[in-house]
Amino acid sequence: MKIAVCAKQIPDPANAVSYNNGKIARPEEQVLDDTDRYGIEVALQLKEKFDAEVTVISMGKLGTQKGIQQALQMGADKALVIEDESLENANALMTSNVLSGIAKIAEADIVIFGTESSDGYSGVVPQQVSRYMNLPCISYVKGIDIDEETVLTRQTITGSEKVVMPAKCVISVTASGVEPRYPNFKDIMAAKSKVVEPVEISSIEFNAEQNQEFIEIKSVSSDKSGEKHVDEGDAFNLIIEKLKEIKAI
Amino acid sequence: MKSLIIGEVSNGSLSSGTLEIISKLNSEGVDFSVITIGSEQDPQIGSDAFENTYLQLNPDELSLSVVADEINEVINTNSVELVLASSTYVGRDIVGFLSVDQNSSPVSNVIDFTIDNSSLTTTNSIDGGESEYITKITSNVKILIIRPKSFEPADIELNTNFTSKTIDKNELTSPVHDIFIEEKTGPQLEDSKIVISAGRGMVDVENLKLIEDLATKLNAAIGGTRAIVDAGWMPYSQQVGQTGKTVKPDVYIACGISGATQHQVGMKDSKYIIAINKDEEAPIFQIADLGVVGDTLSVIPKLVENL
Repeated sequence: MKIAVCAKQIPDPANAVSYNNGKIARPEEQVLDDTDRYGIEVALQLKEKFDAEVTVISMGKLGTQKGIQQALQMGADKALVIEDESLENANALMTSNVLSGIAKIAEADIVIFGTESSDGYSGVVPQQVSRYMNLPCISYVKGIDIDEETVLTRQTITGSEKVVMPAKCVISVTASGVEPRYPNFKDIMAAKSKVVEPVEISSIEFNAEQNQEFIEIKSVSSDKSGEKHVDEGDAFNLIIEKLKEIKAI
Repeated sequence: MKSLIIGEVSNGSLSSGTLEIISKLNSEGVDFSVITIGSEQDPQIGSDAFENTYLQLNPDELSLSVVADEINEVINTNSVELVLASSTYVGRDIVGFLSVDQNSSPVSNVIDFTIDNSSLTTTNSIDGGESEYITKITSNVKILIIRPKSFEPADIELNTNFTSKTIDKNELTSPVHDIFIEEKTGPQLEDSKIVISAGRGMVDVENLKLIEDLATKLNAAIGGTRAIVDAGWMPYSQQVGQTGKTVKPDVYIACGISGATQHQVGMKDSKYIIAINKDEEAPIFQIADLGVVGDTLSVIPKLVENL
């Protein structure tokens, strides 16, 4: 079994996202998107059971590659990465077009994603990749149970449902259900010798195009801070009065 | 602009997200038809005002890729220029598939849009709602994923005037088993007038009992931040925020929530926001109408007692 798992490098989420002419400003040092840790964890659980090979796939500004390293430290075997000027600020379709090309180069049977990135959050890339690769798409997976067969639990609007994982498919994993592992010192050292291989854009079949023209970012400051009181044991009264005043009770 | 709404069924009717898109297109004076996806029998989703086709799924089969094939054909045959879906699990799956077929990248999390002849401008909410990101869509076919609660739902009479088609399986569909329907008791997040949400400041899962007591007193729905949902204190269906639900109640009471932008996106449009938090610098206070700097664990019991 070969698995490709997506790892996106994003600006440190501790800082607010900043924009430059409509594009997310990307510093040299970017970190692994937290939502991808859940997908990587699922990939690693499959690797342990089926002795699968796990390839991290990533698109975008490489910089110091900190985020890629973080994915390898968790336990992935190697990485295929692509950075190209023509892909700067790529929309969701271009991204999935390229990622499905890389997943094919990795000869992946199973392609795994988080449900949506924390910076762009388009939330459609896994589905698009499944369509490009003509594979079943098992989206919003919130649990995995690996026994004789692998059973995936999907989040649905009314609750959940289970699906036996097809031999070849694309999976998106929600941020619940699995507990992403933390690498130890040995894992961190081991990651240093893992291969990070660049992919040339010319080796990928590609026809998606930009289709959004940036107009402007408008500030709609929501600073409507009202009253603020320090509780001295009677703040409950204030809340009750307000609830009455606005006729909520 | 020839438009197609990808609708969904909820409790035998059109989902609120679908009705919100209908009302927006009505106010823009745009002609549209609807394709509604669902698995319920005999829903009340038809109308004399627009054409609606019901694509009925077998709940035991994961077959949204087949639904996308059907919709793709409709788009091509009818030269549809604008496709709109709600930002739901189903909506995002369908749009993901369709966008590849149409070679048109969708715009996600749209909170508003304007149509001017053949030109379409969309607005996205970014920075936790503090800024709006405005773009023009340049592809021939334009696909939008609309954030719930962006528009008032259309107040329309629904009937059984629609056509139906059942969806079959194919080599890309997968059988589904162990379907679990979460029991829904008490007021629901999406339509409750009062929502009480819990964050890390509740310290321990045991303390959620306080939130439940308060919710019972106020007949309120209960929500939570991503942090406590990830911690397993609450099911994902109760998550409020960017990757969870968007709520707009009359009163939102944030208990022990710092107010990360990802959370604010899902609740900042509530009519009246009350925040209780120990940290007086917590960002939640910037959007609160009434802020109480204090320990939620001591404020809530007194509230419950005196209500």
